[in-house]
Amino acid sequence: MSYKIAIGSSDGINVDLKFGETKEFLIYEVDENAKFLEKRAVYGELPENTLSFTEGICSTGDKDCTSSCISEGSGCGDGNGCSGPKDAVVKISVISDCRCVVCKKIGFQAQKQFEKKAISVFDVECSISEALEKITYYYGKIDRHETFRKEK
Amino acid sequence: MAKLLDKQRYKCALGAMQTVQAIERALPILHSGPGCAQKLSESVGSSGYFSPNIFPCTSINEKDVVFGGVKKLDSTIENALKVIDADLYVVLTGCIPEIVGDDSGEVVSRYEDAEKPVIYAPTAGFKGNNYKGHEQVIDAIIDQYLSKSDKKQKGLVNIWADVPYQDLFWLGNLRELEKLVSELGLIPNTIFGFKRGIENIRKIPEAEFNLLVSPWVGLGNVKKMERKFGTPYLHYPTLPIGAAETSKFLREVGKFAGVAEEKVEEVIKKHEDYYYYLIERYADLFLENRVINKQFTVVADAQYTLSITKFLANDLGLIPAKQFIVDDTPASYRDKIKEEFKNLNYGVEAEVSFDTDGYKIHEEIKNHDYHGYPLVLGGYYEKEVTENLKGNFLNIAYPVQDKVVFDDSYVGYTGGIRLIEDIYTVAVSRFN
Repeated sequence: MSYKIAIGSSDGINVDLKFGETKEFLIYEVDENAKFLEKRAVYGELPENTLSFTEGICSTGDKDCTSSCISEGSGCGDGNGCSGPKDAVVKISVISDCRCVVCKKIGFQAQKQFEKKAISVFDVECSISEALEKITYYYGKIDRHETFRKEK
Repeated sequence: MAKLLDKQRYKCALGAMQTVQAIERALPILHSGPGCAQKLSESVGSSGYFSPNIFPCTSINEKDVVFGGVKKLDSTIENALKVIDADLYVVLTGCIPEIVGDDSGEVVSRYEDAEKPVIYAPTAGFKGNNYKGHEQVIDAIIDQYLSKSDKKQKGLVNIWADVPYQDLFWLGNLRELEKLVSELGLIPNTIFGFKRGIENIRKIPEAEFNLLVSPWVGLGNVKKMERKFGTPYLHYPTLPIGAAETSKFLREVGKFAGVAEEKVEEVIKKHEDYYYYLIERYADLFLENRVINKQFTVVADAQYTLSITKFLANDLGLIPAKQFIVDDTPASYRDKIKEEFKNLNYGVEAEVSFDTDGYKIHEEIKNHDYHGYPLVLGGYYEKEVTENLKGNFLNIAYPVQDKVVFDDSYVGYTGGIRLIEDIYTVAVSRFN
C-alpha cells in the first residue's frame, strides 16, 4: 500500500528547514519507489474542525485563553519559529495524510501533536534522497514483517 | 515453538549495568531505549556513589532506528565525560542499536585517548541473560582496559564469584571469601563493592592466580585471563557454605597456592571448633525439627542450587528431593554441574533439572512426596506453592521479596551458621 512522506526543504535536495519555518512541504509518495508528488503550501488559517482540537492544547483550558492562543500574532513567536500550538495544528492538518514528517528540527510541542495523529517524526539533517532511502527501507521492512537485524 | 519463560528469574544482558554499578566509581553509559534501565534497576541498593537514575542513556527512538543512533551515542559519551566524575565509563548496548547495526564499538574507540577509560560491552538482550552480560562486562575490562603485566605480586589472588545484585548476598559473600583466603596468608583482590574499584582492577594482571568460585559464570573470563595475562586459574564450582564444603575449599585453595598443609589445617580447626560448638549447642533443636522437614528442594541459579544442596545434605544430613537450576545455564556446562550433584557425602545423590518454566517446577514440587512437609529454598515465586503444601520456605534467590540484605552472607563457616539460623527461624515460627 502506498503512503506519503512530508519533507521540509528549501531547495528540493536537502532537508534543511525547521518544522516551524516550513512554508511549503514537499510531498513524496512511496509505492515501490519514492516519487515526488506535489508541494503543499501552509496557509495561515485554521480549518474549522480543528478548533476543538486546539482547546486541549491550551494548558489552562480557559475559553479566553484558547481564543488568544489561536489569534494571530499572539504566543511566543513571530510566525516563523515556535508560535504556540496554532502553527503546529495548521501544519499538521495540511499533512495529516502523511505517514511521517521529515524536517531539520521539530519542536517538542509539534512532536506531541504528531504523536496524537500517529505520524512519525524524523528531525534529521541530511539529503532528501538519503532520508527517503532510509525511511522507505524502514517502512518496507515493517510492512513486510521482516527483521532489521543486520549481519555484521 | 518458542521456549516458555514462566516466572522470570533473571534479566536481559543489559542487566549487566548492575555489574558495572557494583564497581565503585564506575558508570554505565547506556545505548538503549528509554525505560530499559528503569526496568532493570531495582531497589536493591545503589552503588553508594551513583544512583541508577542518573545513568546516562541515549534514549534512542524511532528516528535512531531509521537513521542510526551513533551520533547520539557519541554526544552522550562526550557529555558524560564532561559532567559525571567517574573512574571508568562502560558503554552498554541494548537490543535496538545492535539489531539496526549501530557500530557502537567504533564510536567508543574514538575515546581511546580520553582522560578516563571508556570501554564497551555488547549486552543486547537477545545475546543472553544478565549472567552472560556480567561476563561480557568483565571481558570488556580484560580486553579493552587491562594489559599483561611483567610484575607479579606474590600471594595475590583475584577472587571471582557470581553476579552482583542478581545475587543479593554478593557483597557479603565476596567479603567472606576474601576473609577466608587471607587467613591462608594470601592477598585477596576483588573489584566489587566498597573501596575496591579501579585500583583493584589495575591489580588484576599482577595476580598469581584467579580463583573462580562459581559453577559456570565467569569461567570464560578466567580462561581469557589465562590466555592474555598468563594467569592460571582454580575453578571451584561450589560456593562454600558450612563446615564440610568450606574446609574442602580451604584445602583445595591452599594446595593450589602452595600454602603449607599445617597452616591450612590450623585455620580449618579454629573455625570448625567454633562451628561445631554452635551446632552442638542446638542439637536438640535439630532433632526436633528433623521430623518436620525430611526432604528439601532448592529452586535457584546454579550457584545456590548446588551450594545449598551440598550444605543441607552434607552438613545437616537432610535428603535432597529434586533440585532445580533456573538460570538458563548454557548447555555445555550442564553435564559437569550435574556430576557435582552426585558428589555428596554419605553416598547421597541429588536429581537436578535445568528448567526455566516455573509452572512445571511448581507442578513437580506439588506432585513430589516429601514424606512430610517440604523445605523449599528458592525465589519468591516458591512462597505460595510451599505454603499451600504447609512447608517451610526461605527466600534465598532472585527474586527476593521478603528480605533486606545489606552485607549478609551465606558463605563460609559463618555463612553456614547464618543459613541454619534462617532456616530454623522459619521452622520454629510455624508453631507461634
